[in-house]
Order: sequence, then structure tokens, then C-alpha cells
Amino acid sequence: MMGIAKLIVKELWHRKVNFLLGVLAVTTAVAFFVAFHTAARASERETARLMLSMGYNLHVIAGEADVGGYLMTGVPDQTMPQEYLDKLASQKKISYNHLLATLDGKIDWRGMQIILTGIAPEVCPPGQKKPPMVFEIKAGTAYVGHQIAERFEVEKGQTIVLGGKSLKVERCLAESGGVDDVRIQCSLSDAQEILNLPGRLSEIQAVDCLCYLEDGDPVAILRKQIGEILPGAQVLQVKSLAEARAKQRQMIRKIFAVMIPFVVIACGVWIGVLAIMNVRDRQQEIGLLRALGYNASPIMFLFVGKALLIGVLGAVAGFAVGTVLGLEFGPNIFKITAQTILQPEWSIFVQSCILAPLFAVVAGFVPTMIAVTYDPAATLREE
Amino acid sequence: MIVVEDLAKTYQTRGGRVEALSQINFQIDPGEFVVLCGPSGSGKTTLLMTIAAMLRPTSGAVYLGQQNIYEMTGRSRAAFRADNIGFVFQMFHLVPYLNVRENVLVAAGAVRKKDAKARTEQLLERLGLQQRAWHRPAELSAGEKQRAAMARALLNQPKLILADEPTGNLDPENANSVLTHLRDFQSDGGTVVVATHGPAAKKFATRTVYLNNGRLEKLS
Repeated sequence: MMGIAKLIVKELWHRKVNFLLGVLAVTTAVAFFVAFHTAARASERETARLMLSMGYNLHVIAGEADVGGYLMTGVPDQTMPQEYLDKLASQKKISYNHLLATLDGKIDWRGMQIILTGIAPEVCPPGQKKPPMVFEIKAGTAYVGHQIAERFEVEKGQTIVLGGKSLKVERCLAESGGVDDVRIQCSLSDAQEILNLPGRLSEIQAVDCLCYLEDGDPVAILRKQIGEILPGAQVLQVKSLAEARAKQRQMIRKIFAVMIPFVVIACGVWIGVLAIMNVRDRQQEIGLLRALGYNASPIMFLFVGKALLIGVLGAVAGFAVGTVLGLEFGPNIFKITAQTILQPEWSIFVQSCILAPLFAVVAGFVPTMIAVTYDPAATLREE
Repeated sequence: MIVVEDLAKTYQTRGGRVEALSQINFQIDPGEFVVLCGPSGSGKTTLLMTIAAMLRPTSGAVYLGQQNIYEMTGRSRAAFRADNIGFVFQMFHLVPYLNVRENVLVAAGAVRKKDAKARTEQLLERLGLQQRAWHRPAELSAGEKQRAAMARALLNQPKLILADEPTGNLDPENANSVLTHLRDFQSDGGTVVVATHGPAAKKFATRTVYLNNGRLEKLS
């Protein structure tokens, strides 16, 4: 007996050109899609890498804090409620990550002006969990800056007393040549107790990940986002090359947002036309099968099965071609410098293998319906 | 038994209504070899397709056995056709991408008979096509194509074979061969209805039905 699957395979082999053109149409659509996404995701990873390499570049301070003084000393003169951190950390669809809350205060310790900094464990907004960028300081412990350790001969394991609170020295830091040399770092809760500022923060630092893209200036978007969450806070951003990358990525996305639907529709029409030609070529075959007692369903499957096969082969070929194109030309289009960031996007392969056959079936739907509803008598009548 | 009652078929075309069949009444008994004769456009093929359960008449009824075939559902009619009716066409209608053996076997796809393969081999041998079993239609002569179509029509052991101008594209020798095979089927108890405007089939007929302008003109 002749199964429908065998009929499909035999027909494909017989009408190779029609079949190959169909596969080519799906391959084109999938390749275009995959090439763009492979390069775009690599670009996103590179942006994130660049941002991380720069450290925290976003600073949120109290609205009434003196910005000039903060920029000169690095220590805000006003504090804000600790709930601000929770508010920022609970947001979705935002363009920042790696939230680090600190409380800073200048204190006199053994006759020396030092900076005490309390650091909360780093937190991430929902769905953006990342490995922390800084070490976590446990309550009851302290990290002592180089100048302080030198001057007062502080060593690891000793206990120091700050504002009546005893802290065990966990580490004495190496010389930095900066303000960190005159800083003692402890947990946020310890600092709040020592400075008598319970539930207060000086600053929230973050990494502007530029990962939430919408139209417009990334910095303005970020300020708007944070401004809506914390109306009483000021946002300062360290300008970076990454901002230019984000703008460039926005522009490329806009171009592809127009081009991808255009290519997909063009390929869909292409497949549809091929399917119509195929149905026209096979009118008498369809009429014969109906005359032999075949129902509509196996005849429909003759065409749907072919479309599915075209879709699967097109998905596999399109993924391969798209990945090669993305890896080859993506770095130039998206200005990606780190080649290791470019890699095949296997999640898109799975999507392609599901969506491309569906796309081919949808594109061939009208011709399939024409085939199923052919009047067999009309096609076989030759008087 | 085939009973055709007050059969009429009208086509609606851009140029207006065309009455293809009108007031057709006749009966065909099992084991008959009936030839439908008439000039081109007389309604032979329309009548054949109507008897074949493939073309719903505008009015009237067609009974095959006890059943009015147009009171059946489309699915039942298709199953009925697969089980009971074999077709032979002027243009053979072989599937171009299948070889002769597969073209015969394709008829079994709708009924799924277990012995289809063995019966295919028997039919290929009986019709002298064993050497051509692996050939595609494009590689066959017209006579071989029609014999392949005959084998396909006979595969499901139908009760009735409907042939539309089966000799129209054949030389006299091959035409005679095909008609002889149809007569053999009739001799084994089957019923044959052949639509033709040529004279060759008449000598095999137990009865001839004359059609003209969609009307039954004469039964002989």
C-alpha cells in the first residue's frame, strides 16, 4: 500500500525545483532572522561586559544632597530611606542592575578623619540575578584602608571599636592611592548603628546595563525610570561608550524591525505562490485520488506534510546560514570586538524548528484548501 | 444493479445555464457491458461521473444496489467508491512520480486491503506489465499506460468499472486489448459502463445507450 508519507517524498523528488525553491524561501526568512539575533545578542553581551568592566556607573543620592560636594568628596551630605533600595530592586523592565546600597559618614577615629562606609549585600532586580561585583561584608567585621592600618598598626584578626561598636578586622586593604585608603568598610547595619542613622542610606550604586531598549535617549529613559520610582532622588551617571553602543543598537533594531516583517512576508508570499503552482500542477492527481476514494484529510496532509518538511529543512538550513552570516558580518554591523561573545544561539534553533514549519503551513494554507475542495469531476472530465 | 431516475444536471456558467443532462431514466443489471454513445458534448462524461458518485445531480437519483448514493455523506460516498467502483480514463491519469507498481497500489490507499501487493503482482502479470513495473508513466507507451490504469481499476475487486473514452488515445490493437480486459472483467461477473463516441466498444456491449444534447435518445 502507498502511504501518504511515501507519496510526499516521491513527489518532492519528482518536483525537485519546486521543493528546493520552497526550502530556499524558508531558509532566507530564517537565516535573516537568525543572523540578526545572533549578532544582536552578542552585542548585548558585549555591552554588558563593557559596563561591568567599568564598575558601578550609576549613583542615586538623596534629592536634597549637595551634588557639588558629593562630586568633590564622594560622600553625600544627606541620606535617604533604605526602602529606596527595595523599590529599585523590585522593578521589572528596567535598565540597571547590580544594586549596591551604602551609608557613608565622616568620623573622627583615634584623632584621624576617616570615612566609614557601610555596605549592604548587592541585590538584583527580578529576573536579572547576576554574580555580585563586590565582596559581601558580614556584620561585626571590618575592612580597613591602607593608611589607617599603617598609622594605627591594625592587623587582620584584631578587634577595633568604632562609635562604641566592636568590629573584627577581616582584612587590611592594599594601597589604592585614593580615598579607599582612609576608609573603613563594614556592613550596612553596623554603619547605621555607629553613625546613629538607622534605616538610612547615603547612596545606591548600580550598573546601567542598557538592557531595556526603547526609543529615545538611554540616559533620559533611565532618569525617567528611576524618577518615577524614587521621585525624591537624584541620578548621576558616569557617561560611557556603552551609551553610544546602546543608541547604535536602537537604530539597528529599528531597521530590522521594518526589514524582518518585510522579508518574512515576502518569503511567505513566495511559498504561497509555489504552493499554488504545485496545486495547479497536481489538479488531475488530486481528482484521481478523490475518484479512488481518498478523503479530504489525506489530500490535505499531502500538502501540509510537504509544507512541514519544507519548513523543517528550511529552519535547519536557515539557522546554519544565519549563524554563519551573523558570526561573519555581525561584528562589523554591531561593532563587537570580543569574538568570544559571538556564539550560535541554540534557543533560536529550537524556535526556528517550531516556527518555520508553522510559517510554511500558514503560507501554503490557501493553496491547500484549494486542493482539498477541488471538484474531482471537474478535473477529470475531459469530454 | 444501477438505477438512474429522472436524472438532470445543469451547470451554471458565465454564459448562462447549460443543461448537461435532462430526464435520464435507465437501469443497468449486474454483469452488463453498457456503452454510452453520443457526440462530444452530449453528456456522456457527466452521466458517467454522476453514476460514479462524483458529481451531484441537480435533480433525480442514482441507486447503486439499494442505496441512493447522493443521500450518503461525502465520506461514505468516497468509501463506497473505493470499495465498489474502478475508473479508467482517456488520459490515463497515472501519477507521474510513481512507477507502474506504485500507480496500481495507490488505489489500495483508500481501502487498505491486506492482499493489495500480491494482487498487484497478479494484475501486472495478467496485463503484461511485469517488465514495466519499475517504469514511470513517462517511460510507457499509451497502451501500457492504459493497461496500468486498468490494473489500478481492478485492484480493489470492484463490482463496477466506469470507463471514460478508454480507447480514445489508443491504436486499434491496444484499444482492442483494453476492451478485451474490460470484457474479461464483465465475464467474471462485473458490470462495465463505457462512455465513448467511437465504434470500437460497441461490439463488446450487451447494451448501448445513446445520448444527444443531454437526453437519452435510444436504448438498444
